[in-house]
Amino acid sequence: MRAAGTIADVRSLGAHDHVCWAFDDPADFQAVALRFLLDGLAAGHRVRLVAEATDAERLLADPDFDRAVVAGAASVVVPGEMYRPDGAVDPVEQCAVYRRDTERALADGYTGLRIAADATPFARTSATLDAFARYEYLVDRVMAERPFSAMCAYHRPTVTAGAVEWLACAHPLANVMEAPFHLYAGADGATALVGELDIASAPLFSQALSAAAPLAVDGWIVIDATGLGFVDHRSLLTLSGYARGRHAGVALRTRRPHVARLVDLLELDNVRVERVA
Amino acid sequence: MRTGAAAGHTGYFHEAVYYRDESDLLAVVLPFLLGGVAAGEPTVCAFGEANAALVREATGNEPGIVYLAGGDMYARPASAIRAFQNLLAEKAATGAGQIRIIGELAPWMFGETWDWWARYESAINHAYDDFPLWSMCAYDTTITPPHVLHEVARTHPWVARPDGHERSAPYTEPSVYLLEQHRPVADPLQAGAPAVTLTDPSPVAARQAVLRAAPDSIEPTVLDNFVIAVSEVVTNAIRHGRAPVHLTLWTGLQRMVLTVTDHGPGPKDPFAGLLPRTDGEPGGLGLWLTHQLCDYVTLDRPGDGFTIRLTVNAA
Repeated sequence: MRAAGTIADVRSLGAHDHVCWAFDDPADFQAVALRFLLDGLAAGHRVRLVAEATDAERLLADPDFDRAVVAGAASVVVPGEMYRPDGAVDPVEQCAVYRRDTERALADGYTGLRIAADATPFARTSATLDAFARYEYLVDRVMAERPFSAMCAYHRPTVTAGAVEWLACAHPLANVMEAPFHLYAGADGATALVGELDIASAPLFSQALSAAAPLAVDGWIVIDATGLGFVDHRSLLTLSGYARGRHAGVALRTRRPHVARLVDLLELDNVRVERVA
Repeated sequence: MRTGAAAGHTGYFHEAVYYRDESDLLAVVLPFLLGGVAAGEPTVCAFGEANAALVREATGNEPGIVYLAGGDMYARPASAIRAFQNLLAEKAATGAGQIRIIGELAPWMFGETWDWWARYESAINHAYDDFPLWSMCAYDTTITPPHVLHEVARTHPWVARPDGHERSAPYTEPSVYLLEQHRPVADPLQAGAPAVTLTDPSPVAARQAVLRAAPDSIEPTVLDNFVIAVSEVVTNAIRHGRAPVHLTLWTGLQRMVLTVTDHGPGPKDPFAGLLPRTDGEPGGLGLWLTHQLCDYVTLDRPGDGFTIRLTVNAA
């Protein structure tokens, strides 16, 4: 299982992990990105830093990182090289690029691909943010399936209001305590949920469902909520309504007894609760 | 087509039966039940064990009478309403012109939680009014406390006697009855030191505080359901009440008691909690869920605010 929830540092993250890192001080981003990529190198991954020159200089000053660049195991890329000039990202195309780069890394003898990126430019306005959040869900699915891990960093003061919380919810992992939940790609095509869903998270949850747009398989949208500590009736109604709009049911996996009780009381006939110990 | 005393009536014909002994009871109940069977109406006996056995014997095990184990239907008022509404809808869907049900409340309901059951008796005048139901609620006057009988007369429009049926003079419409203010009696636990006191908690803070403070004697499923109720009432206080919101939790080995007080007027709907309100009434669904998940709920409007008190038993 991929790691999910709130973290304070990027140590011990694995080949499929995906973390949202909010920072106030660029020096913090540089130090954490360096740690993340050095750990990746130690695990045999090919690594890449996507950041502006000032950040790259800090990492290149590190002898281990510099050695890796020379050896071809690490590279530094300016955001403009990877993404379109207008700052927007083509989700499908970018996911294809990462899948291809991951396969190339494996073919070249590495254990996977790991990227640390300053993604602040994509969260400057609410318009680009919504598109980017959708992209984060798609690329997270790639990470669930292939040995591709990433750290997406966002400069709090620069990004638009509400962006940090929104993006944190769209990653399995984040250093953002105020994110009430994380919605991300689970195993076997399921959509996973950790955290707690209540009135406070209700607007974000609706938004997250729309952006993640989980698909039904054989008429069922599978939600792995085994990591969800609490779900209120509004959130269950939201889930049920989302599935109904796609003429599908929800197969909801949970450890909590109260979920089945609520589904029964609410008479949500398109929600099937699967209790897991 | 309505028959018997309910002939010509539309909707719920709700009667009380007062009895001193078995022959008193049977004098009213037997014609009621056998009349239903003869008219081909779904006829249900929801008595407790003793009176059900009495009816079985007195009717010679009449096969046309369906027996419902009283306990299952009467777990708590809001659940009883939901269960009976489902039953009535099912029977009505078969095209029945009338449904007859005889039932009784168990003596334990006349104790500390009687006001909850009095509200139930009042609310069903409205909640079952969509169905061609004729029901009788039987009360043994030798064991039912006088203050309970007083409220029974105010919540049942009709009284069934062996010699006929008459209106219950003190009957009060539910929309009026349910908004009458009765100060709840304090739970003995409330005299002791609280386990938790919070001011303006978020729903998540309230849930976590309750989970941390709950004694091990509270059964996990009971606790899980209680936490939903706590989250709902705190959410209502934040969204529909007025700050500051105060939460207090008392714990004992046998039960937990929690109050949430805010400075708003509380719910305006007389049926709040007993019926789910999905028509936009603020907090309606959450309050109804709370009434399904707790063993006792009181709503108190002392004059300058609103306090909801939740009680759950350990198992």
